[in-house]
Amino acid sequence: MKPILGIDLGTTNCALALASPESLTLLPIPQLVNPGEVQSPDLLPSFLFLPGPADFPAGSTALPWDDAPPYVCGVLARKRGAENAGRLVSSAKSWLSHAGVDRNAPILPSAAPEGVRRISPVEASRTYLAHLKDASGLDFAAHQVLVTVPASFDAVARDLTLKAAAQAGLGEVMLLEEPQAAFYAWLERHADWRERIGPKDRVLVIDVGGGTTDFTLIAVHDAQGALALERLAVGEHILLGGDNMDLALARFLEQRLPKLDPVQFQSLWQQCRAAKEALLAPDGPAEQPITLLGRGSSLIGGSIKGQLTRAEVRELLLNGFFPQVASTDLPERQKRSGLQALGLPYSADAGITRHLAHFLRSVQPGELTAPTHVLFNGGVFRSAALRERVLTVLNQWLAAEGAPAARALQGEDLMHAVARGAAYYGRMRQTPGGIRIRGGVPRTYYIGIEESLPAVPFMKPPIKALTVVPFGMEEGTTHRFADREFGLVVGEPAEFRFFVSTTRREDPAGDLLERVTDELDELPAMEVTLPANAGDAGVIAATLESTVTETGLLQLWIVARDGRRWKLEFNVRERT
Amino acid sequence: MSIGYAFSAFFGILFKNEIPEDVAAALGWVRRDSKPKVVEKPKETVGPGDGALQILGILQRDARLVDFLMENIAPYTDEQIGAAVRGVHEQSRQTLERYLQFSPVIDGVEGTYAKIASKDPAAVKLLGNVPADGKAAGGTLRHKGWRVTKTDLPPLFAHQKTDILAPAEIEVA
Repeated sequence: MKPILGIDLGTTNCALALASPESLTLLPIPQLVNPGEVQSPDLLPSFLFLPGPADFPAGSTALPWDDAPPYVCGVLARKRGAENAGRLVSSAKSWLSHAGVDRNAPILPSAAPEGVRRISPVEASRTYLAHLKDASGLDFAAHQVLVTVPASFDAVARDLTLKAAAQAGLGEVMLLEEPQAAFYAWLERHADWRERIGPKDRVLVIDVGGGTTDFTLIAVHDAQGALALERLAVGEHILLGGDNMDLALARFLEQRLPKLDPVQFQSLWQQCRAAKEALLAPDGPAEQPITLLGRGSSLIGGSIKGQLTRAEVRELLLNGFFPQVASTDLPERQKRSGLQALGLPYSADAGITRHLAHFLRSVQPGELTAPTHVLFNGGVFRSAALRERVLTVLNQWLAAEGAPAARALQGEDLMHAVARGAAYYGRMRQTPGGIRIRGGVPRTYYIGIEESLPAVPFMKPPIKALTVVPFGMEEGTTHRFADREFGLVVGEPAEFRFFVSTTRREDPAGDLLERVTDELDELPAMEVTLPANAGDAGVIAATLESTVTETGLLQLWIVARDGRRWKLEFNVRERT
Repeated sequence: MSIGYAFSAFFGILFKNEIPEDVAAALGWVRRDSKPKVVEKPKETVGPGDGALQILGILQRDARLVDFLMENIAPYTDEQIGAAVRGVHEQSRQTLERYLQFSPVIDGVEGTYAKIASKDPAAVKLLGNVPADGKAAGGTLRHKGWRVTKTDLPPLFAHQKTDILAPAEIEVA
């Protein structure tokens, strides 16, 4: 059995776990924590700093495996980035899943001043993965490597993650969805899990990371006496996380303080994070002082004092991010204005409970799918008050529907579960009869087909949508669409419009939607160029084929009549 | 001349077990080194104060300890000082614990009887009615003492300027 490496490539932190048949351990990650100082904590903050001549003393960014790395990664990057934000890359993963930008183009740091070299979101992800590889000192080729992605990542973002892994020299990697990884970690920690959950149970995984919120629903079935697990649904991509909460507190408190400089604001942000955890603790204080030391050498004379009360934190966090709403309340939709600045598409609605209600009502259209258990993941849920609030609101919904109350699964590992779970999943894949969550593709994918109509000025030809990947299509399966033949011009790129839906779950493969509805979102186009030297008469008659590989990768192929095949690739160069 | 060489050769062989260089040369012998010379990288010179300045620099960087100690605190109220000290203290302690490992010299309860574990006055200091011969079996433990059992300071990187405890900071508009 190959040893397994599980990589949590997080929005704000990365972690690395190693599994063998006997053991499962988190690996320390050597990184610069100060100029000239390497330490090995078990998390790598997902921050990247592009040092300029004025940033670090000569020779002080050397790593044990690289005397002069082009980027600084981890704790030191985050520290220096607070002082010089124009050279800091953060939240690269959110950019990787942002369809509104060219993710292969050098666009980060988005706030870089003129003249600073920029890198692409793919390059940033590559750097984190390469750092993990170099820091571990392990030969990745001799390991089975798993990288986790949000369940809400679409096919493009997954494809780009794999590209980054290949560029980092990770070899053959497999992707796993983060909420599933968190659930695998829980299974690993509880050998008696079959006594804790049983047939007909539904486990809701709520994963609130630093920058993203991810929901997944897993059903437990009875399969000839054994328990089987099936992933029923995953939520939409929500750019909302723990950092937003600490930032909300910091912004709230900032209004009552004299003007702060960026370094003081960072300190305020850090202190709000600590104050939040203290104030929300079961027997926490009623108020927590916040002191920002003077910025100059006069430390006491220039200090700024403030305080946060428990009531304020409860109001801002519990009611702001976890409001008590009805299960029929819907999150506010994103309002897209033409003048929107180039930035991340943050969620327009901070109410995580509203997003949750929307998710539970979209599994089965028109009704609330009732979970029986909840598994929390992410550092936000270190606060028992937030876990309780989610359960309270959820159980109010369930009571209103006459469903029994859901219970929290105990014994979770909020910060490291995803890396550990990925490593455990890798072990299960190599274990005959090892437990696996079945699920398949959590979305439906369509190829756009233009109708052949006489051209009308100023009117685009109407477009129909052919279902190429049905919801739940399983790993290792293929669909062929032999009855739909295309004529492809040789030597020129042929482009296919590509659509996705998280809500349409009943369209079978090959089904043709007469028009593209609001339930479909357009992804970057897919394209293929047939080689010109094929000796064909300019146009090749071909059909489509869709495949989900054993590793969960979605592929579309063009198959010519004579059996030759070409793979369609995402065109992420142009804006969509 | 030859008498000189004879003496030199005699004492050289007697005391150093080797024939002096000049004698060998005069006799036309060429000495071959048994080991090739190892070319060593020029070592960064670490001055006597560098270690002390390094830890002071770290405490200033992480906890702003030098700012605090060098500030004139007379004009401020106890409340103002207290608020600032909480942060400085917490950070200083975290930093010390990260780079140094502490243990007491005598692991006992202060105010109770303790045996004298060491005769070294640097490790155990005797107070009160110290007998003339300086020997005592034990006494009341007044202070447990501090011992550093491990230091884990980062190596100084090439050309590190330890005399700069904290850089000046200039915010560019």
